[in-house]
Amino acid sequence: MISDSIPSASVAMAASNPKDFAKKKRANRSAKLKQCKLDARREQWLSQVKNKGVCSKEEVNREGSTPGGPMLHLKNERGRPIEKLEIQPRSEEEIYGDGSSTHHYSDSESSLSNSPTSSVLGSNDSGLNFTGSSSSSSSGQSSISSSSINGCCSGNTSEEDEGDAGDDGCLDDWEVMADALAATDNKQKQHSPNSEFCSSLSEKHENAAELGSQLDATNQPFSGIGLLNANPESGGMTKQGGALNRCAWRPDDAYRPQSLPNLSKQYSFPLSSEKHFGQRGPVWGSKNLGPIPTTCPICFEDLDDTDSVFLPCLCGFRLCLFCHKRILEEDGRCPGCRKPYEFDPVEREATLDGGSLTIKLARSCSMMERS
Amino acid sequence: MQASRARLFKEYKEVQREKVADPDIQLVCDDSNIFKWTALIKGPSETPFEGGVFQLAFSVPEQYPLQPPQVRFLTKIFHPNVHFKTGEICLDILKNAWSPAWTLQSVCRAIIALMAHPEPDSPLNCDSGNLLRAGDVRGYQSMARMYTRLAAMPKKG
Repeated sequence: MISDSIPSASVAMAASNPKDFAKKKRANRSAKLKQCKLDARREQWLSQVKNKGVCSKEEVNREGSTPGGPMLHLKNERGRPIEKLEIQPRSEEEIYGDGSSTHHYSDSESSLSNSPTSSVLGSNDSGLNFTGSSSSSSSGQSSISSSSINGCCSGNTSEEDEGDAGDDGCLDDWEVMADALAATDNKQKQHSPNSEFCSSLSEKHENAAELGSQLDATNQPFSGIGLLNANPESGGMTKQGGALNRCAWRPDDAYRPQSLPNLSKQYSFPLSSEKHFGQRGPVWGSKNLGPIPTTCPICFEDLDDTDSVFLPCLCGFRLCLFCHKRILEEDGRCPGCRKPYEFDPVEREATLDGGSLTIKLARSCSMMERS
Repeated sequence: MQASRARLFKEYKEVQREKVADPDIQLVCDDSNIFKWTALIKGPSETPFEGGVFQLAFSVPEQYPLQPPQVRFLTKIFHPNVHFKTGEICLDILKNAWSPAWTLQSVCRAIIALMAHPEPDSPLNCDSGNLLRAGDVRGYQSMARMYTRLAAMPKKG
């Protein structure tokens, strides 16, 4: 699905480039004049972009056709507000410095008031998705976004050079903001038919996220040459590919600022630690892992640290080392499954290795929890 | 020796703690010998043994729990897998299928399950097994009910 939508998105982008460019020019002027005029422009854009929203809507529909795809996006979006909130106020204060910052502040605060439940949901429900899909889907999409940005950069430098020769840095910032506004407007239109309230909330998250991402892109040291020119294109890209990658950053995005906490790690950690501490160390290759008993089921003595990671049989039955030795001296069958214990030295070796591995894991886990 | 004693002591404490949990089983230890136990089990409902209380005698070996305890019925019972004279029980978990993970309590549960589901193909009580193998469930049930009433129920009047 993803590989399909790349060419179409890029084609649409190339077709709408000149129009976007003209719009940007207008946006620059209006932004320099007054904020209210910018709002008026936004209204104009709304009407202009409506016809273009059709193609992106198709993309939305195509994306919706894949099972699990949109759900993943939604969860990612919901899981993100915390991360955005941490960096968003700073960058907005730097660049806007006027009423708009307070406006976005209130947005982010409203998202904060909404986020606790949603983020909790996300951590519970999509925690596994987060960790599991970070390698497959999100990495794939991040590669798309980065590659498309690069492609735009190389393809349109000449055009941008002649057009934006007189622009200074401030102007570019405004341009970026205008692009982001346009992108969000476009997306608000895409979403509004479905459910206005929910989508507007999520749009606000996206709005903040995209502003942050693009402002951050301009702050990158090497962006002075390449990304300055690529910014309008990236704005266009977010218009067309807004449905494709709605999140500002993938966890492994190259443009993601280093200061951002890795949310996937944060979300996956408590879950995995719960797992680890619930079972006190996972054991590989064993089928049914119940909770580890605190006492040896044979002698009813407490299991110490060595015993609790000692897994002599694949059935998962645990017992203390003393009882295991006594059983080996007697009939040598596992009390849990009544199968004979493996006397093969190689097999014993393997189980011992597994034991040491679990010990290591448990220790690193506890260290992580302490820090 | 020491291990089995410790284990039995732990089991004793466990039994004291879970006395209320399983009303069908009453497991008591001999006052002077921790290797001798007695159990009173209620006959499972919807069987000919319903309403009866059966007494079991446990003799725990020193190798316990690596060796299974020896259990026999002190109360007379008409059951294909229980010897009518000696009260010996033919139950796999008391022989070769024993696992050290079992406890005296779980043995009692297994015996209750055996009372509800007799195995006529390995009979210790041939009369009872023959009745079941001949398909005379009614005859088996009436015999078992009669012996339950005679031996396992308090005398009336």
